[in-house]
Amino acid sequence: MCGLFKTPAYAYITARVRARKRKLIPKETYPKLLNMQLPEIIRFIEESEYKKDVDELSAKFKSIDLLEHALGRSLGASYRKLMDISRGEVNYLITEYMRRWDVWNIKTVIRGKYYGASEEEILNCVVSAGELHYPELELMAKKESIGDVIASLEHTPYYPVLTKYEGGMLNKIEDELDRLSYTRLLDAVGGSPGEKFFLKFIQTEIDIKNLKMLFRLKKAGVEREYVQNILITGGLELKESDLTRLSGLSFSELVHSLDGYSYWRSISDVVSDQMTTLMDVDTKLDAHLMNYASQISHYYPLSILPVLDYILSKKIEVDNLRVIARGKELKLADEIIRSHLVM
Amino acid sequence: MAIKDTIKPTRSELIGLKKKIKLSESGHKLLKMKRDGLIIELFDILNKAKNVRSEVEKDYEIAQQNLNIAKAIEGVVAVKSTAFALKDAPVITLESKNVMGVVVPRIKSTSVKKNIIERGYGIIGTSSRIDEAADAYENLVEKIIIAAEIETTMKKLLDDIEKTKRRVNALEFKVIPELSEAMDFIMLRLEEMEREETFRLKKIKS
Repeated sequence: MCGLFKTPAYAYITARVRARKRKLIPKETYPKLLNMQLPEIIRFIEESEYKKDVDELSAKFKSIDLLEHALGRSLGASYRKLMDISRGEVNYLITEYMRRWDVWNIKTVIRGKYYGASEEEILNCVVSAGELHYPELELMAKKESIGDVIASLEHTPYYPVLTKYEGGMLNKIEDELDRLSYTRLLDAVGGSPGEKFFLKFIQTEIDIKNLKMLFRLKKAGVEREYVQNILITGGLELKESDLTRLSGLSFSELVHSLDGYSYWRSISDVVSDQMTTLMDVDTKLDAHLMNYASQISHYYPLSILPVLDYILSKKIEVDNLRVIARGKELKLADEIIRSHLVM
Repeated sequence: MAIKDTIKPTRSELIGLKKKIKLSESGHKLLKMKRDGLIIELFDILNKAKNVRSEVEKDYEIAQQNLNIAKAIEGVVAVKSTAFALKDAPVITLESKNVMGVVVPRIKSTSVKKNIIERGYGIIGTSSRIDEAADAYENLVEKIIIAAEIETTMKKLLDDIEKTKRRVNALEFKVIPELSEAMDFIMLRLEEMEREETFRLKKIKS
């Protein structure tokens, strides 16, 4: 597909992305924010780049909810801006990468319809950061039933997957949608040097998703067949044969069979067969992915990599601010908040 | 009004009173046994209640902590969206059992504790933080149902012990003494009437 775009206009988009990245909050600010009281943090966010979003949403939300929605709105706007200012191959890659937000929004609308949530409740949970614009999401939320929502997506790539829904629980259709976004992304990446690293990043992300799922499903004692069917193929280190082997192991066997993979170094200090929580594993694996992304981000300045770096940096900023503000509001210990910050 | 003013000093009344005293005494004995039995049951349930209350408090803390972490890390929006994926509420059935004449509830629940693949949300797009928050809340709901059964049983037993104690005391200090007093009064009156009759007969003869 990317063969269609022979002259990628990376110079323009990377220059814009660098300018935008300079506006992000520096890493050194997070420890300072962590030492602030909640009103000071709120004031800091309200006076930062998020001012416009905070002001626009202030009539609808209050306090930390206002901040969280403003952060989500800003994230969506930044990603949409990237799609608007990019052309050709880079636009195609960004759009494919952002499909995860479309999937998120479709899942949210369908879940809302399944539960019987109001239109407002559903729209409060969507983040318009993908190809589907907010007015389209509004129209989807207005539909009467799940069937109507699916019918409204007839001309999108998600429709063939959604037509498989036969009623009842949504987990299978949700997993199919997530898998679709990864499959499309893997197919979209071309063979230029920058894209090779982008592909490696996506493959690493798939490996990390698979590892997290293996830990969760094996801890819950889910059957081999279910585990095998849910895992995503196309990873970097965890090939199909590895996934087949690992999905047949017990939790304890899984823990002892991961030391051959590079991810083991990141998680070895928190993993044991007696572990009661998997949250630390998730955090360590997320940190591993972010470290890899920051490593490759400067390899090819005129490629998709600086764009990916900005996309991830913006997401990290939004997540960090939310973790600090929400963590302070919910009176989480500073150590817990700090352990979930990506700095 | 004194008992002497309301009671008729006749033999049939005396027989009736004797029967009532016998019945009251056996009732008193039975109620005392019931009270003691209920107290033993209460002590059994009291230990369970103490444990279950502390377990509920512990589970609540864990559930709240896990939910707070999920809200902070994943965001309230993500937690809410994921929660929409499950609409089945746990089913609770209420039965009853009899403990020494006291009807106490027996609460049974289904579909509280769910496996990760039964919670309705997809696995790929969610995280262990959501799983652990859901898991901790499922544990909490199960514990609350157990606590509800134990604490309601305890409350009902306490009410019944109080009621039985009042009945025992009423029989012991009010009903039986009054009946005995009435019986003594009738016996006294009957003896007196007998003496009067004997005296009258003697007087007629002389």
